[in-house]
Parts: sequence; C-alpha cells; structure tokens
Amino acid sequence: MPKHYRPAGKKKEGNAARYMTRSQALKSLQVNLNLFRRLCIVKGIFPREPKKKVKGNHHTYYHVKDISFLQHEPLLEKFREIKTYLKKVQKAKAKKNEELARLLLTRQPTYKLDRLIRERYPTFIDALRDLDDCLTMVHLFAVLPASDRENLEVKRVHNCRRLSHEWQAYISRTHALRKVFVSVKGIYYQAELEGQKITWLTPHAIQQVFTNDVDFGVLLTFLEFYETLLAFINFKLYHSLNVKYPPILDSRLEALAADLYALSRYIDASSRGMTVEPKVDASSSSQSNDRAESELRLAQLQHQLPSSEPGALMHLVADKEVEEDEETRTCKSLFKDLKFFLSREVPRESLLFVLPAFGGIVSWEGEGAPFNEDDDSITHHIIDKPSAGHMYLSREYVQPQWIYDCVNARIILPTEKYLVGRVPPPHLSPFVDNEAEGYVPDYAETIKRLQAAARNDVLPLPGVGKEDLEDPQNLLYAGVMSRTEEAEAAKTKKKMAELEKQYHEELKKEVTGIEVDEEATPMVEEGEGEESVPDASQIEQDTADMPTLMMSRKKKKLYEAMKMGQKKKSESVERIKQRKKNLKADQ
Amino acid sequence: MDPNVKCSKTDAQTWLSTALTNLDTCRAGFLDLGVKDMVLPLMSNNVSNLICNTLAINKVPFNYTPPEKDGFPSWVRPGDRKLLQSSTPRDNAVVAKDGSCNFRTIKDAINAASGSGRENNYSGSRSVGGESTTFNSATVAAVGDAFIARGITFRNTAGANNEQAVALRSGSDLSVFYQCSIGEYGSGCFDFTAVHMAWFSGQRLQEQTSGSLLAPMTKKKGEAANEESKKKSVSSAVKSQKEKPVVAKEVRSSKEEEDLLLDSGDDSYYGGDSLSGSLNSDDFESDFFDDGSDRETEGGDGEASEDELIACHDGSDDGEDGSDDEGSEGREESDSSEDEVAPRNTVGDVPLEWYKDEKHIGYDITGKKITKKEKQDKLDSFLATMDDSKNWRKIYDEYNDEEVELTKEESKLIRKMLKGEAPHADFDPYAPYVDWFNWDDDAIHPLSSAPEPKRRFIPSKWEAKKVVKYVRAIRKGLIKFEEEPNVYLLWGDDSASDQKSKHLTYIPPPKLKLPGHEESYNPPSEFIPTEKEKAAYELMYEEDRPKFIPKRFTSLRSIPAYENALKESSDRCSDLYLCPRVRKTRINIDPESLKPKLPSRKDLKPYPNSCYLEYKGHTGAVTSISPDCSGQWIASGSADGSVRIWEVETGRCLKVWQFKEPVKCVAWNPLPDFPILAVAMGQDVIILNTELGTDEEQQRIEELLRLGSLPELDESVAPIVSWHQDEGIKIRHFKNVSFVDWHPKGDYLSAVMSAGETRGVVIHQLSVHKTQRLPIKMRGLPVCTLFHPNHRGMFIIATKKNVRVFNLQKKELAIKKLQTGLREISSMAIHPGGDNLIVGSKEGKMCWFDMDLSSRPYKTLKNHPKDIRNVAFHRSYPLFASCSEDSTAYVFHGKVYSDLNENPLIVPLEILRGHSTSSSNRGVLDCKFHPRQPWLFTAGADSVIKLYCH
Repeated sequence: MPKHYRPAGKKKEGNAARYMTRSQALKSLQVNLNLFRRLCIVKGIFPREPKKKVKGNHHTYYHVKDISFLQHEPLLEKFREIKTYLKKVQKAKAKKNEELARLLLTRQPTYKLDRLIRERYPTFIDALRDLDDCLTMVHLFAVLPASDRENLEVKRVHNCRRLSHEWQAYISRTHALRKVFVSVKGIYYQAELEGQKITWLTPHAIQQVFTNDVDFGVLLTFLEFYETLLAFINFKLYHSLNVKYPPILDSRLEALAADLYALSRYIDASSRGMTVEPKVDASSSSQSNDRAESELRLAQLQHQLPSSEPGALMHLVADKEVEEDEETRTCKSLFKDLKFFLSREVPRESLLFVLPAFGGIVSWEGEGAPFNEDDDSITHHIIDKPSAGHMYLSREYVQPQWIYDCVNARIILPTEKYLVGRVPPPHLSPFVDNEAEGYVPDYAETIKRLQAAARNDVLPLPGVGKEDLEDPQNLLYAGVMSRTEEAEAAKTKKKMAELEKQYHEELKKEVTGIEVDEEATPMVEEGEGEESVPDASQIEQDTADMPTLMMSRKKKKLYEAMKMGQKKKSESVERIKQRKKNLKADQ
Repeated sequence: MDPNVKCSKTDAQTWLSTALTNLDTCRAGFLDLGVKDMVLPLMSNNVSNLICNTLAINKVPFNYTPPEKDGFPSWVRPGDRKLLQSSTPRDNAVVAKDGSCNFRTIKDAINAASGSGRENNYSGSRSVGGESTTFNSATVAAVGDAFIARGITFRNTAGANNEQAVALRSGSDLSVFYQCSIGEYGSGCFDFTAVHMAWFSGQRLQEQTSGSLLAPMTKKKGEAANEESKKKSVSSAVKSQKEKPVVAKEVRSSKEEEDLLLDSGDDSYYGGDSLSGSLNSDDFESDFFDDGSDRETEGGDGEASEDELIACHDGSDDGEDGSDDEGSEGREESDSSEDEVAPRNTVGDVPLEWYKDEKHIGYDITGKKITKKEKQDKLDSFLATMDDSKNWRKIYDEYNDEEVELTKEESKLIRKMLKGEAPHADFDPYAPYVDWFNWDDDAIHPLSSAPEPKRRFIPSKWEAKKVVKYVRAIRKGLIKFEEEPNVYLLWGDDSASDQKSKHLTYIPPPKLKLPGHEESYNPPSEFIPTEKEKAAYELMYEEDRPKFIPKRFTSLRSIPAYENALKESSDRCSDLYLCPRVRKTRINIDPESLKPKLPSRKDLKPYPNSCYLEYKGHTGAVTSISPDCSGQWIASGSADGSVRIWEVETGRCLKVWQFKEPVKCVAWNPLPDFPILAVAMGQDVIILNTELGTDEEQQRIEELLRLGSLPELDESVAPIVSWHQDEGIKIRHFKNVSFVDWHPKGDYLSAVMSAGETRGVVIHQLSVHKTQRLPIKMRGLPVCTLFHPNHRGMFIIATKKNVRVFNLQKKELAIKKLQTGLREISSMAIHPGGDNLIVGSKEGKMCWFDMDLSSRPYKTLKNHPKDIRNVAFHRSYPLFASCSEDSTAYVFHGKVYSDLNENPLIVPLEILRGHSTSSSNRGVLDCKFHPRQPWLFTAGADSVIKLYCH
C-alpha cells in the first residue's frame, strides 16, 4: 500500500500497517502470481516475519516497503509489455498467420538485469558473498541435457558451461582454490576470494536426469539471474587481471590461436613488468624456470582443446602475482615440479581445474594434450582402473583421490595407500572440525601427524631435482614413521595416566558415597524397603537443575534446545564409536 | 529460293553447298557400286576444293528466317496453302497392296489418275544393299518443283540388315511436306535438293539406324521440326548432286483443287488424311499431342471447336489401334502391323448427324451401305454396365461404330494428362539438366558480342530503395539482431555504494550446510550404517528418517549421478524466495553460561535439607497437617478419617480421633493459649479441643465450645450453615468443605466450599457462635482463603483463575485482583510481611506476587512436572516451600527486603524427596514449616509425615 494513500479505517502503524500478505501484495501490484514470483526472484525480495501476524499464521507476509519497491520497478512495466506483446503473437497464431507470428517473435521486447544486480549487490564483496547458490546452480545446469519439454535451450546450457569454465579458469590461475571434497552428490570446491569463502558444488560428469517434482519455471528464473550475475563477476575478475572479457574462444582453433597467442603475450609482458621489482634478487635459475614454464604454457596454448574443455581457458588467465598471502603461496607451490598425466577414465574436468590451481602441470590422454603419455618427465600418472596396462618405472601410478587428499592436507601425502589396485583410505571432508565434532577418524589423525612431520622436518623440497624425487619422499616417510611411533608411545602413556586417575577418583567417590549415606540416614527407621534416600547422582542433578528454575522462559527454552543439540551430537558420535568398536570386534 | 526475290547471299550459299552435296552423293554412289577405282581418279579435280573455298569466303552467319504468312512460308502459294489448311481433303484414289482397295500400287493409281483415290501409306523395300545407290534406294523420290506432300508416311522397309536406305529423296525445289512421317530403317530423308526450299511441317522422321542423313525429328512439334530441318538443310549441305529427275509422282487430288495443281505444271501433290494407320504405338503420346496441335494449326480459326472434338476421337481411336498392334505384334514390329490393319470406317468426313436416324452409318467405296451395329436397349446396356467392372473404361466410337475399351496404361495416361503431368510413364520431367556447352575451359570469347549494358556500371536504384527501407526499419527497432551479451564493469567504482540504500535491510540467505565425512564417496567405514540400522530407518516415519544415508564407492569412476541434484537445487530456490528471513544471532556459547549466577546455598543456611523424622500411624493418605504455634505439636488429618496429634521432636502420637469421613483439612488455632483444632470433613467443620493447655485454658476452651442453645443465625446464612454441639462444636454446611483457615487473632474461622459458588465462603465467629457470608459478591469458584496477617480486615480469596483481595470492613468490591495467568490455582500462602504472596497451581507452576509492585506475578517458577498441592511460607525464616504430586517438595529461599526498591530474592535451595513415588499414590499432599525452626513437615499420600531438618 503506498504511503500517501491510506483507506479510512486502516491502521496507521504497527504490524498491520507495515506488513501485507502475499495476496494483498498481488492485488496492489496488479500482477499474477507467476509474475510476482519472477519479480521477487530477480529483485531478491523475500517474505519477512512480522512480530505479530495480523492476518493469521498461515499467511506469507511481505513488508510494505518491499512491495512498493517492486511497484516502482521498471521491469514490472516491461513484463507487462511482454505479456501484451505475446497476446499479439497468439492472435497471429490463432489466425494461422505463422509468418507474422514468427516475425513478431523475433521482435519481442527484451529486458536486462544488470541494473538489478547493481542494486542488489552494491559492492563486489556483497556479490561474492552470495555467490554460492549462483555457482552451484550454474554448474548444475552446465551438465543438464537441453530439453524442449522443460524449456531449457541448448544455448543456455552452453552459456552455463562457458561461465562455469571462465570462473574455474580464474580460480585456478589465481590459485584461490582451498578445499576440494568428492562427495556422493558431486564435488565440492571452496575458494577464497577477497576474504570471502565461496563454496560450490559441481555434479559428477554423468548425464543428469530430469525429475518430475521440480518446478522448472522457478529454476529457470533463478538461473537467468545467476547467469547474468556470474557474467558480471567474471568480467570484474578478468578485468582485474587485465584480460579481455569475454575471452574469444568459441570459434575455430586456427582462427583463435593467433588471438590467444597475442593475448597471452600481452599478459606475460604486463605481468613481467609488474613483477620486476620484487623479483630483482631472484636467482636466474628460477627466472629460467619461469621461462620454461611459460614456454610450456604457450605450447599448451598452441595445442588448444575444443572450447568446451576447461583446460582451454586455464591458460588464458595469467598469474596474479600482485599480492599473495601465505596460503596462496603454499597452494601455488603444492604440486610444483610435479608433472601429471591423466588417464582416460579419471574425472578430467575436475583434475584439470584442481591440478593447475595447486601449481601442477598436467596432461591427459586424448587430443590436444600438451604432452604425451610417453613423456619421461611425468612424475605421477593418475589412473582409476583396477590395474594399469603398461607401467613406466619412472612415475607413480596413483588413484585420483590422492590428489584431493593432498590438496586438503596441503602436503604431498605418501602414495603407498593410493597406488593402483589398492583400496584407498577414506576420503575425509575438509569442512569438518573434527575436534569440535568430538570424533576424529583414524585417517585424520594420520594426516595430522604427517602434516606435523612435514612442518618440523624442513626438507628442501622445491630445490630437489626430479631424479632424486623418490628419496625425499622416502626420507619424509621415514621421518613420519619415527614421529608416529613417538606419538603413539606418548599417547599410551597418557592413557595409562588417565586410567589411574579415574581409578583413584572412583575410589574416592566410593568413600564419600558411604559417608553421605551415613549422614543422610541418621535415625531413619528404614521403611518398606523403599529407596527413600536419594542417591548422589540424583542430588548432583538436582543441584545442576536448580539454577534453571530461575531462568526466564526464553532462556530456558534456548538452554533446552542447546542441550538437546548437544545430546544429539554426542549420541551420533557415540553411535559412530560403537560402530567402530563393533567393526574392530568383527575383524 | 524465294521466287519473289532475286538471288541473295543465303541463296548463293545454298547453291554452293548443294553443289558440294551433289558431288559427294555422287562419290558415295560410286563407292557403293564398287567402281571407285575407275571413276574416282576422274573425279579428283579441284571442283570440290573450289566450292569449299568459295563457301568459306562467302561466309554468311545463319540468321535467316523465312518470311512467313499465316504460319506458312511466304513462297507457298495461296492455293497450296488453302489445300494444306483444309481439314480433310477428299481422296481420289486409295492404294493398297493387298488389293482391298482400288489400286495395288501407286503407279497404278497414277496411271489411273483420273480416278478418285486416296494415298494412305506407301512402303517398299529397296536398299543400297541390293545393288542400288543411296540415291536410288529412295522409296519415294520427289524431283519436280513445288512438290507437296501431306499426311504421307514415307518408309523404307528394306530392314535393318540392309545398308543405308532412304525413305524419301527430295530433289524438288519449293517442296512442301505437311504432316508427313519419314523414317524407319536406314536414313530418314535424303535431301539433295539444289533449291532447298522445302518446308517440313508436322512430320515425323523415324529412324532406327544411326547413319541418318537428316537428324531425327520425331517427337518434335511441327514448327520446331520445320525450323530444324531448314537449319540442317543449310548447314549440312555438303553434298551436291546433279539434278536428275528420276520419278515424278503426281497424285491428282480433289476435283476442286485440280486446276490449282495443274497450274503449276510439274507440281506434285500427295494428299491424304494421316489417320491412325500411320502411327506407331510406341510414340503414342507424342502422336497424341502432335495430332492435337497439328489439328489446331491446321484448323485455323473457324473449325477449332469441332476439330478439338475430332481430335479427341482420333486420340481414342489411335489408342485402340496402338493397343491392338501391341497386343498382336509388340512394339518393334509395329510397322508391319500397320500394313495389315484393315481399313476402318470409310465413311469419310461426313457429319454423322446425317445418318442419325438411319440404319447405316454411311457408304463404302463401292457404294454399299455400312450398317450400324444393333443398339442395345437402355436397360440392357445399363445392366451390362452394372455387371461389367471394366465398364468405365469403355468408350463408344461413333465414327467406327464400335465400343473401345481402354487399357490400363491408356487410362493411366489419360489420368496423367488430366492432371497436367507428362503423359508418358517413363518420362522424367525433372531429369538432371545436362549443359552441353562447355562454359569453363575454352570460353575465351563472350557468348554475345553485344556491348556491356549500362546497368552493369551504375548502382541500382531499387537496391538503394530497399536498403533505405531496411535502414529505417533497423532505426525504428523493427529489425533486431542477435546481440552479444552486454557485459561491462559493473562494480567499477565502489564509492557510490557508500550511500545508504533506501530499502530495508538486506538479510543475506543462510549458506548451505557444508558436507561432513558421511557425505564422502569413500567415508570411513564406521560412518556407514549397518544393515540392521538401515532396516530400522525403513520403519521410521518419513520425517524422522535421516535424509542422507552414507554409501561407499570403491573408486571415483563408479560414482553414479546423484538423483536428487535437481530436487535439492529446486528446494534451495524455493527456500530463497519463499521462506521468511529473520536475522538471528547464532549463540555459540556454553549452555551452562545461560544459567543465572545464584548465591551460594551455603550462605543461605539454615534450610531443611534432609529427612529427620517420619511420623507413621495413619492408614490412609495424610491430607493435611498443621503444627501448633509453639512448635511442640503437630496435628494431621488423613483420608482414613482419623485426626492425630504428634509430638514434633519425638514423633510420638499423642491423640487420635476417629471420624467416619475422610478429613479434608486441619487447622490449629494460631493463639498459643487456645489449643483448639478446626477439622474439615465432608460437610462439617468440627472444632476440637486438644486438651493440651493448662487447666485454666481448658476451662475457657470448654466454656467456649459449649453451645448453650443453638445459635440464631441471620437469614442470609441460615439455609447454608447450622451449628451443632458435638464432641466440640460441629458446624454443618450445605456443601462439602474443602478448606478452613483461622484469623491470626484466633476468633474468626473461614470455611471454603468449592461447590458453593457465590456462597462458597463463610466466616464463623467462634466467640459469639455466629456465621456470616462475605459481604461482597464473589466471582468464580473459591479454592482457598487467607486472612491478611497484619491488616485486620483484609481477606484474600483465591478462585480457580485469580486471586482477589477484599477489605471486609469496608464491604467494597475487591481492592485488588491478582492475575495469575495460571490454569487452576490449587493453593496459596502469604509472606508474614503481608505484601508478598505465593500461589501454587495444578499445572506445577508457582507464582510469586509482590502485591505492592503489580497485579501480575513477579516471578513464575515452573518447578514441578505435576500439580502443586500446597505452598507454605516460613513464619520467621526467609523460606518457602511447595509440594507436589510428583512426590517432591521444593524449598526456596525467599528474602523480602525492607527496601522497597529491591526486588525479593528467590533462590531454589533444595529438592526434598523421600515420599513414595509410586503412581498409585498422589505424592506429597501437604507441607508446613515449623513455626520457629527452619524445619519442614510434609504429608505424603503414602500415609507418612516427614520432618526435614537443616
């Protein structure tokens, strides 16, 4: 309801004046529900919870200001225009004038969402903060099959694919990726951009299926907004690297190659210019190393893939070497000096994204690969088969999980457990704080020990050549082993001490318990065998409960809820521990 | 040569080439005769070379079109033209080899020139093979000038095995071949005419051998054939031959034209109707067409409609003929069949309506009547048509007076023609176009020598107009183009974002929960539920069932697509736009820190904390207890109907009264020197003398409890209360009494009847044996009452919902109403200071009222899970207690400060347990504090009274 007009008898203030139900909103906006939904979605308007629900509990309430905000939205007018225009088309169709209908459809009024994005996210950080859903959705639609029935056009799927690859290219090149987790639902990635942790989920690269219980209209409206948002964000990100956006990739390879080459040369030149000052004292060897790396990258560029490969984008974006924090540096150098080769059956898209993000050089089986399988300098061959055919002795054949675990642990894990044909150790979520959760899986302990070992035994890993690459790992592993043994010993000692303490405590308790009993029943004539004397635990609980009596109702509820949550958590932990015990007993 | 004009360049060319042709023909003849050795050397002079040179010099581009008049060349004389135009010239003589007609040979016919006859067909067999030259092999040789042939088939039947044979040799100047068919075996037409002015119209040249001298002209329309033949005759005139008239055949045609023909001395004319006999079945459709068209050209203006009709007839006729032929001999031998076809109707060109009513259709050549077939009567014919499924294909031919049945092919043809398609089944109208001209390689010269037109060099006006139209449409926005998505630097400067937005605060959507170990594709094995647990999940309700059940995959490649991906995405979207958002601060604290900091219990001692004594003796639940004011005795009433007095410190039972009814309530008189007991049971309140005081006191008590006579009561209370003398005094009420309470002065006694409604509370005055009702109207059901400890007239009544405070002296409405907010009040106690009140309820809640502060509770404590039965204040210590059906009693510290600004301090101190918790009992029914010591008595439903000491 507009501010300047208030019907007689209506409230001036309070919840009744400040909030309106959805149907009231529809009426005042004079739109139908579908249109209202679309408007709400693109404008980011959501219902609010009034203190007092004047119309009843089963209504959805919108703030009056939100609705008037919608009322003055130019898009509303545009939508109406489109609606009337479509009537025109329908009329033409009804008159069997297909030609006119087709012609009219080509001239349909269109709208843009850029202003809305600016309005909803006044700063770039705001946009990044809300990017999770956007990325998840765009990545999901990038793998969906186009469908006529659901109005999902091929064009949009391609656009989603392009946007997602552009985003991944940026993240990979700026080494902003932090965590990766392969779950049943897909692969979770977490990147850190401008201090914002952005997590998104990409589905496994398998044909997705449409289910009937999904409202595609709503989904597509969201997608429309997200596509626009991600395009602008990508533009901003590429702009910050001085790279032209949108990258010219989709045409033929030959036509592109020159363009890409020029672009990469330009980026190289500019980035070198920027990094001259901090790198003055850098040794010539590293310089040449850099050169070699860039050469290799160029070589990769020359053998461009089809545009649908994320690898094609990887090399577009130059390193952002302006200011790097500690974490970025460790991420960047995690797989330094390692060369990977991906077998045919491993999830290539994911690894092509992850490996370069952590400084690895990667090639794959198939067309356009930068180097072939028989390259001598390959250190790791990623393979996901029960057994490898022909094995080169100079490299290690590991399962892809090794890479994800290394990334999450931020160290190069020993490859023994991940070799081809073995059952890999459990893949743990990097998003869980094990200590807070109350249960630490065994493998998490192992990784922790390895991490500690890597920190303490400062091995000059980066300087070592490839030929003695095995050695430092062995060394590391030996160090790890000794440390684990030590830790184990300490642990057992601690356990013993704990047990002893517990025993003492119990003893003490027993003594005091008797005393209490004596005190409690000095001259009671013991009755009908009834437990008239409250036991110690009861007393303890009573004393614990006593203060809760004095809490306000609200606080008490909160307290109870928290207690319940804690109880649930501890129960689940207990369950897991119990299962583990059972499994051990079975073995 | 055009006789009207003198010799032109073209004519010269023609002459020259004819000469050359004659020479060549001659040579060919010598070759054929095998005398080349003798003759050829003689012929090898330079004549042919010379002629060739002259020809080369006199090069005339062929663009000759003969002057035409009414579709005929201008040199055709008007008489001849008329002759040709006439539809059916009358025949004068008919020649047939088999003798069915008047003449066997043409010769005979010519000989008998004066007789009438009709040349139908002429064929002979003579070929080069049989020792005659090509020149002489001709079946018909036309030598005389102005030879006219019409409707004749020239054919050499010498057969394919012989060598070149000529059907027609034309050496006549200004000859006309109209509707003639030339061809078959050997070359069609051997044209050596010196004066090539032959006009071929509507003829067919049939040939089956390759060495034709004249290009085949079958399946060409008349005019085309005409032009073609002319072209040939000019360009391929390479043979010359001396003009040598060998045979001149003249057929004098109709009488009326005779003179015309005779005018031109040696003019020859072959007239004849080219009827079906000349046609071949295999070029049926072309014939069909040709005939039609021929007829039309022939027919000219006037006869068009009739001609069409006839053409149709002819067509059908021809068709039948053709099919007949095909049936008998097949396509290849169709020529021979033509010879054997018997002459058909010979009625001639007579309108049939002349014989409409006659029995005959006309006369044959001998003058005999040709009789009509007998007509079937209509019914028969109709029946016949109905029986015959092929009837629709039958057509009646009037001229020949017979029924013709079309074959399937023919009907197909007709159908095709009706549709306007090409009639022949094998004809492909969309055959790939073969461009015979080689455009690419050798085309060094332009096709046309015409200068480039101007339009090739100036911009097109219409194009310019079209462009302007498009430009305008684009400017107006009528034409749109697929645009690139317009992406630009949206967040270029964030300075503008500092300004505060006018909208409501944006609440960012909560982030999705991050996945834990259990979502991993390869979780630790302890995260995977066992089979038993999974089965248990199945039994759970849908809502309780865990949303995600961990699974384990041995390798990355074996992970399937997640089936709920879209669903989850959709749910998230729905949450984003449908769920109300509220900003909530997430409290991440230890829940223990929420508990208020209470003063240490040790500092609040003494308070009862442990059971010290149990008083046993009652056999039923102890419903009520009451300590005397000295604290030495305690009275208890039980559901078994007994009232006992116990010594507090020893637990000795001093006295027992046994009544018939269960005791509801006992109350000790608050005056220390007045040890009497009020007991409520059933409808009675009994004042008992405990016989505890000194003798003096006893005397006073007995005096007081002796009713001289039954007291006179006001009429207001008389119906509800009556006093009786019993063991002590028995006051009988009209309803069950649930509660009794003494005034602090010990003279007044209030009794509460829950069921009494507005008359539920009465106050008895013991000293004067009087009873009075409340002077005010009361609302609700009374539960219990209290006399204010300090203010004399203040009386507090608790009804089920509320507590009201009255001033009995002023007899006004309630001076205060305390809103408890409880569902049902069960008990009430007042702080000895008189300003604070606690109320216990049946929902286990206890409210503390600070009556000076508010009419609402200062504090509500929910301490008991079950009904609170009673609450109590200590008379001197800052203690209060509640007891409940859950078999517990709570002891609180309740300090009321004299400073009015300070709120009372309430601290829970102890939970006293000990009474039987069995469900059959109803917990703790009453609790009372010791008047001087911080001790608490509790009366349990398990018939035990307990004393808790500090």
